[in-house]
Amino acid sequence: MKNLLNPMASAALAALLLMVGPLHADNTGQLDYTQMTPEALAEYLIFEAKGFKLDMDVQEGGKAKQRMVQDELQKVCTQTHNKPSPEQAGKILAEARASIKYPEGGIKLGDWRKGRELAWSGYGFRIGHKIDDHSKREPGGNCYNCHQLATDRVGGTLAPSLTNYGKTRGNSEQTLRFVYDMIYNPHAYFPCTRMPRMGAKGLLSNEQISHLMAYLLDPESPVNH
Amino acid sequence: MIRKLFPVIPLTLALTATSTALSADDPSEVLRELIDKTSAPYLMQSEQNIMMMEDSPALWTIEEGEALYRFPRGNNLVSLETCDFGKGPGVLEGAYVELPRYFEDTGKVMDLETRLVHCMKTLQGFTDKDKEIKKRHGSKSDHMKLQTYIASKSNGMPWNPPLDHPLEKAMRDAGEVMFYRRAGSHDFNCATCHGENSKRIRASVLPDIHTPEEWTKAISWPAFRVGHDNVRSSQHRARGCYWQMRQAGLVAGSDASIAILSFWTDAARGQPAIIPDMKR
Repeated sequence: MKNLLNPMASAALAALLLMVGPLHADNTGQLDYTQMTPEALAEYLIFEAKGFKLDMDVQEGGKAKQRMVQDELQKVCTQTHNKPSPEQAGKILAEARASIKYPEGGIKLGDWRKGRELAWSGYGFRIGHKIDDHSKREPGGNCYNCHQLATDRVGGTLAPSLTNYGKTRGNSEQTLRFVYDMIYNPHAYFPCTRMPRMGAKGLLSNEQISHLMAYLLDPESPVNH
Repeated sequence: MIRKLFPVIPLTLALTATSTALSADDPSEVLRELIDKTSAPYLMQSEQNIMMMEDSPALWTIEEGEALYRFPRGNNLVSLETCDFGKGPGVLEGAYVELPRYFEDTGKVMDLETRLVHCMKTLQGFTDKDKEIKKRHGSKSDHMKLQTYIASKSNGMPWNPPLDHPLEKAMRDAGEVMFYRRAGSHDFNCATCHGENSKRIRASVLPDIHTPEEWTKAISWPAFRVGHDNVRSSQHRARGCYWQMRQAGLVAGSDASIAILSFWTDAARGQPAIIPDMKR
């Protein structure tokens, strides 16, 4: 107890309070949340106030903290509630377009049977209390979460139905390219879409994308009959 | 003959006790009234669950929770009957629909789970190492029993989390920012799934935060989750959503978790709590 009262400790405490002062400390040395903007408080709660397990390893390498840090696209889409201004939208479109890398030898359809399982699988990239182990099971595409595809399985309705997609669109060079782009980085056509950037963020490999494209476009695929 | 009748007796006794444990209407009645008013698809998605609500296993969890609440426990051998959940020591009626709220004695905004931990530590003398504090999930955990009992005392009452204290407002507003904050490998936020009416993820109808009549069911925890075969809490739901969003693991009881709960409870303001609810 005596230690707490010695002049050195008091001086150190005073110095600490002074340091925290500009960040709106109250007399207990704690941050005053009421003096912060909601945005600043949210950032503080996520990154400084032990709100999330930021030190966990993530499947793509590195730590969970990276997942929580917003990139420019995420920031703009958050701030505008997915309705970017024309200028912002133009920038997003251009950057998304520039992010797309095409496979050597051109875009080709893979195996629709493999694509079918990938489209159904919602496995992969989950962390927190239960970590998806990519060494045991490959990550899926999560397509059925939001899209209806072949009708023998129930798909979601957050996104447009893709039933008969290949039947109605054919598989011209242009269609192949559009579908590839949409899976790789859909912001190239729909800025601030809710759909993930499966290629640009490394969530699916080029080979997996080719299988998903076959599931959508191959005339033999159950999506098309 | 006697052998056949014998097991029936304790069951009947227990069922009678259960029916008196609920403070307001039957939660299935609360839900039916909402359906009559709005016919929102999220409310009606499982006729089977609605039918099963009257025999919900969560009713047993309430029973067990009441016993734990009244029993002298912890190093100090006292019950939780003097714990203040915001409406005064020992007042449980309507306490849960006014959480999260600011507590003078801690200087913090707290949700039910955090406040329960606070009382178990300060009144009963449990420590962070005790399983009574540590184990938060599963119908067999003390936490789920106590939370389900306490929350059931707000069944049928309108959500009314206070926003008079500046900290309550600050936490609610930060929670709103978090709800719309896109991040993670898949660019998701809470609104990806909960921003539109009548949408589905696969076969599951999603609740929409802009439709308070269905949002009240979404946030009505504790609820028996049929697929999990367990009663689950608000903190468990929030954790599960961040997991599905592929963002970092949410820490139960953190200010971040309470901010989210503050915002989502405010979004259901005025609508009746359905507790215990039954969910897929």
